Amino acid sequence: MKPSTHLAPKLRSGSQILIEALERNGVKQIFGYPGGTIMPVYDALVGSGLKHYLCRHEQGAALAADAYGRVTRKAGVCIATSGPGATNLVTGIANAFMDSVPMVIITGQVPSPLQGTDAFQEVDIFGITLPIVKHSYIVRKVSDIPRIVNEAFQIAQGGRPGPVLIDLPKDISAGMGEAVYTPPVKLPEACPPDAAAMRKASEMLSQARRPLVIAGGGIAISDSVDVFRRFITRTGLPVTSTLKGLGVMPADHPNFVGMLGMHGNGAANHAVQNCDLLMVVGARFDDRATGHLAQFAPSARIIHLDIDPAEISKLRKADVAIVGELAPALEGIQPEQPANPGWRAQCAGWTKEFAWRYDAPVKGIYAPKLLRDLSNARPGELTITCDVGQHQMWVAQHCKFNDPLQHISSGGLGTMGYGLPAAIGAKVARPEATVVCVSGDGSIMMNIQELATLKRYGIDVKILLLDNSALGLVRQWQEIFFDGNYSEVHLADNPDFAGVARAFGIQARSIKEPEEVGEALEWLLSTDTAAMLHVSIDSMENVWPLVPPGKPNHKMLRSNP
Amino acid sequence: MNHTLTIQLSGCEGAVIRALGLIERRGFSLDKCSVGEADSSGRVMEVQVSSSRPGDLLKRQLERLHDVYHVELKPAMKLNQRRPGIRPVTRSI
Repeated sequence: MKPSTHLAPKLRSGSQILIEALERNGVKQIFGYPGGTIMPVYDALVGSGLKHYLCRHEQGAALAADAYGRVTRKAGVCIATSGPGATNLVTGIANAFMDSVPMVIITGQVPSPLQGTDAFQEVDIFGITLPIVKHSYIVRKVSDIPRIVNEAFQIAQGGRPGPVLIDLPKDISAGMGEAVYTPPVKLPEACPPDAAAMRKASEMLSQARRPLVIAGGGIAISDSVDVFRRFITRTGLPVTSTLKGLGVMPADHPNFVGMLGMHGNGAANHAVQNCDLLMVVGARFDDRATGHLAQFAPSARIIHLDIDPAEISKLRKADVAIVGELAPALEGIQPEQPANPGWRAQCAGWTKEFAWRYDAPVKGIYAPKLLRDLSNARPGELTITCDVGQHQMWVAQHCKFNDPLQHISSGGLGTMGYGLPAAIGAKVARPEATVVCVSGDGSIMMNIQELATLKRYGIDVKILLLDNSALGLVRQWQEIFFDGNYSEVHLADNPDFAGVARAFGIQARSIKEPEEVGEALEWLLSTDTAAMLHVSIDSMENVWPLVPPGKPNHKMLRSNP
Repeated sequence: MNHTLTIQLSGCEGAVIRALGLIERRGFSLDKCSVGEADSSGRVMEVQVSSSRPGDLLKRQLERLHDVYHVELKPAMKLNQRRPGIRPVTRSI
């Protein structure tokens, strides 16, 4: 029997309402994988205005949405079914949470009456993800969908961004209801920066003999790069950066001393250990940046700028805290005199002393030089996504970034397998960009199935695969800190990666000799479709410098002890 | 150190468990807890926690949850023995 006609025009399925709510929030592209409980949504997707990218594993979809969110500063959207589909998203959600990336995740769920009965493909994804989301919802009424979707985007993108999960039981997505569109709820905005704190910070900067600024990822997230650069020009302060702050300052800027931390530059680590005032902008004292916390910047007083009040004095007590948007705080801090010229000269001296060198005697292709050559081949043009391991640190050290949104790296979570799906997300978000995925032979295997996604949609991503036939960073630590007792790190039985790529329909080449590098990089960057350059490097090559765990930052090892 | 917090939060699904989970995950031992209905649709929760970490940090971590409306931290009552399993923040590896 047909439903009564007088109600029919108003009633629509929860899935149709969901798709419309996404479109109303400006969503154009989503990443996902279908399955049982999410089928009503995939049914409504057909003919909608949304372009869906079928990744070949839900983790790939979540990580692609993460990179899409980083590049656009708008929430990336991923979608999966209940049970294993939802749990496969978890690493991607945690990745976004740790790096403050806006993301909206939609998961199918078993019908409400079956929830709590161990139904087929039932998992409590709401419960599983509680520690790694900014917020989450289980939808209980069809009419709630527009409000929940609107709130999810506002929360994901507002303040300190993060992932928001919407769990959608199948009886809701398939059920009929009326869409109730209400104006977006006004979320509380950050307070203007505290004037007294800004005055105090200005005084401290004026009086400091050895002031230093740490540029963090929050500067890019809040779109404050230009304001930050003007602040540095105005004050003359020396600047270091975290991994996520790379690109905030132009790599060759005279005030920039490089990245600090475990694999940071010697200049940065000496500057931070010797400074008497540390102004931390949009960073959170991560242990990879600080080394032994109690000995980090031991003589420094701290000025901490962050939008998240919960970051203030979490790990290092702030002498002055300015909570709120970074840009007005940076504009309001006006020291009376520029930074001490003697200290600036000292920092510049360290920068010269610890400048990267590429003349080390090595067997075969030297990865740091290769990455410097890659960066120099298209100065300022490349968006580089990384996997996790030695190659990730070499990218951070040796590629020059003049825009933080061109360096897409899994910082907080350190997710092997991030690089390839991240490149997909970045390229979909910015089709005009030249996107290079720098990966390793360990990491690439974690999401190698996404080569099929590249081929399926003709996504032009360049893969530079550094193959040392080992889990290199773990091997390096076993060499140095575990007396060379190598355990499960040798990958001499790797597949023929170029052959694997070709099997997916991706053109590929392999090189082994240093004299092949220049021509091969040019080939990789000049192809007009996706391509892989597989580079064999010495399996015993290490990342230097290295701050051993538990040591202060200036106790860097610069070669094998 | 013992801390007592009064947390006003939404009556939405998951709000209570989200706040309680955060308390333990952030290094605070949950010693006492009561949950009741507040005046409107929300709930009010009173918790007593102990940790070597500062109570005002937990307050700020709770306040950033979307469904927490207000957190009141009562002054620390007394010094307590450090509880096993809850360590001050020192990072090595």
